[in-house]
Amino acid sequence: MTRYLLRRAVWTALVVWAVLTLAFIVNNVVPSDPARMVAGAQARPRDVDRVREQLGLSQPIAVQYGRFMRRLVHFSTARRGDASGPHGACATLGWLHLDFGKSYQRRRPVVDIIGERLPRTVMLALAAMLVQVVVGVGLGMLAAAKRGSLIDHASVGASLLGVSAPTFLLGLLLQFVLAHKLRLLPLDGYGSTAAEHLACVVLPALTLGVAGAAYYTRLVRDELISVMKLDHVRTAIAKGMSPARVWFRHALRNALVPLITVLGLDLGALVGGAIVTETLFRWPGIGALSVSALLDRDGPVILATVVVTSTAIVLSNVLVDASYALLDPRVKR
Amino acid sequence: MIDPRATRRFTRHRGAVLGVALVVALVAFALVGPSIAARSAYESDFVSGATAQDTPVGPSAAHWLGTDRLFRDELARLAIGARISLVIAFAATLIATVLGALVGVIAGYFEGSGGLKVPMVTLAGLAVSVAVTIAGHSNFALAIGAASLLAGYAALRFAAGSRAAASLRVNADTALMRLVDVGLSFPFLLLVMALGAALDRTSVATILLTLGLTGWLGTARVVRARTLQVRALDFVVASRALGQSTWRILLGHILPNVAGPLIVISTASVAQMILAESVLSYLGVGISPPTPTWGHMLFEGQDLYLTAPWMLAAPAGAIVTAVFGFNLVGEGLRDALDPKT
Repeated sequence: MTRYLLRRAVWTALVVWAVLTLAFIVNNVVPSDPARMVAGAQARPRDVDRVREQLGLSQPIAVQYGRFMRRLVHFSTARRGDASGPHGACATLGWLHLDFGKSYQRRRPVVDIIGERLPRTVMLALAAMLVQVVVGVGLGMLAAAKRGSLIDHASVGASLLGVSAPTFLLGLLLQFVLAHKLRLLPLDGYGSTAAEHLACVVLPALTLGVAGAAYYTRLVRDELISVMKLDHVRTAIAKGMSPARVWFRHALRNALVPLITVLGLDLGALVGGAIVTETLFRWPGIGALSVSALLDRDGPVILATVVVTSTAIVLSNVLVDASYALLDPRVKR
Repeated sequence: MIDPRATRRFTRHRGAVLGVALVVALVAFALVGPSIAARSAYESDFVSGATAQDTPVGPSAAHWLGTDRLFRDELARLAIGARISLVIAFAATLIATVLGALVGVIAGYFEGSGGLKVPMVTLAGLAVSVAVTIAGHSNFALAIGAASLLAGYAALRFAAGSRAAASLRVNADTALMRLVDVGLSFPFLLLVMALGAALDRTSVATILLTLGLTGWLGTARVVRARTLQVRALDFVVASRALGQSTWRILLGHILPNVAGPLIVISTASVAQMILAESVLSYLGVGISPPTPTWGHMLFEGQDLYLTAPWMLAAPAGAIVTAVFGFNLVGEGLRDALDPKT
């Protein structure tokens, strides 16, 4: 197991590095001028050149890439120090330094921006996950237990419709009904106190959660129906075990393996930033940051969001694979 | 070729029949819609399309679905949007399915096969050499790279079986699947925006290629998993033993046996592509205006939903109907081709 995890860790680092390098190349071949964006449309050519020099954009791409990679992960005994110092833009963990440079537009260390936004995205992701699992597993079990009934057909139909609605449409609809008409929840934003954060997370979490729940309902239903046909379940029923115990202990546990797979991958994707939902509800997380960075051509921030997104996805893949070994005794590495 | 039982299962599936009806209606609308709509999708109608307050008019005899904020006919725009949506979805799915099937079958078939043995010594040496290049000493890096290649050769040639010969196998499967890993974790939006910026103006072809060239990754994974099952079957082993060429086995034996899941995935993929295109145009990185797209029409409609609800309802209804229709067909196909559940 340890060797397996070690090998996966090496692959994870390689994949993230490849994605980062690709993103660096894509970002640099795009014919746009970040220096012009920073200096402003009215700036004199001389000033644009000065900004370009300051940002280090006048050097060849290979040199810029070298500098970026050298700074990204380095070891130093130095403390972070003040913002203009040599390690002013680093996130430090002992001697290990992580440095994405400074944002062109926001003039702040990128690690600070990410550090501020990542917890919010994680909060949204966890809230959405909660909706997905509770609604999805609940409806799925109900549909499987009452197979062929009206509830079953309704939940299958609703789940297919839920998968077919684009997130932005679902979000608009929820926003219109719950925030605009009924005035139950804030329209968008993040709020400034913990209570406000909680009120604000409900709508985007519902938006993300409903689409996901639709998929989970289907998955749990189909899986439970096929598990309920297996011999060990029939034996359990025949020996007089209570239905609740059969469902939860013998059926649901078996249906958990495919659920965990999808769940892990979804969590990875959500932590990487739900771009549309975050933009729609003005939730200041990683997804909204990546869109604004792309529109501003803010190179360091773009690359940092790419790293966060790809790391989240790749790590969730590894976690899913590792969890098989824990959940399913048949899987042996 | 086609199992009559599967056909019967499909035609008796109520959802599938409804899905086919929706899809046929949509295709018909995309084909003839632009010509039934009495007005042009690009011209403003200031006479019967605008109210006295200069707001768009609602559904009327002249404009069946009303007009948008520039007083252009909503029905005509919706029909052009349907054309664009369908062309992109079908073409992108075709690209994604062909690529995904090819990569998946090849990767699955060669899983665990010999491939290239890369000694760890070489890997470590090359990593150091890359690091040294980055640090700015390219001559030194070249020397380290050459030395590590030599050391790797020596390890494989003379130290077989010992610890020094520890190596990583890179075959078609690992190479392709790691490529899929990279692709799946690459932010798709960055690619689209980069392409859009590079080409100055985003066209149907740009979006279609981007969606197609990024959409095959998931397909490849599923096809690979299925290929792993099929290649272990007796008739595949037999044809290998009889000396059939690898290409014939792949195309003649493996591909037909992964066709079922492939058809199901590609139908669902059409739905996904319609959604993806609408998300891109909603975010403003899709096909550039004035070409009407459903996503952009919805974006324009969302600010005016109190005064002109038809501007929101028309594209929203179109997107949901289209995606729902293809999803229903996919569902029916799954039940027909894979009757286990």
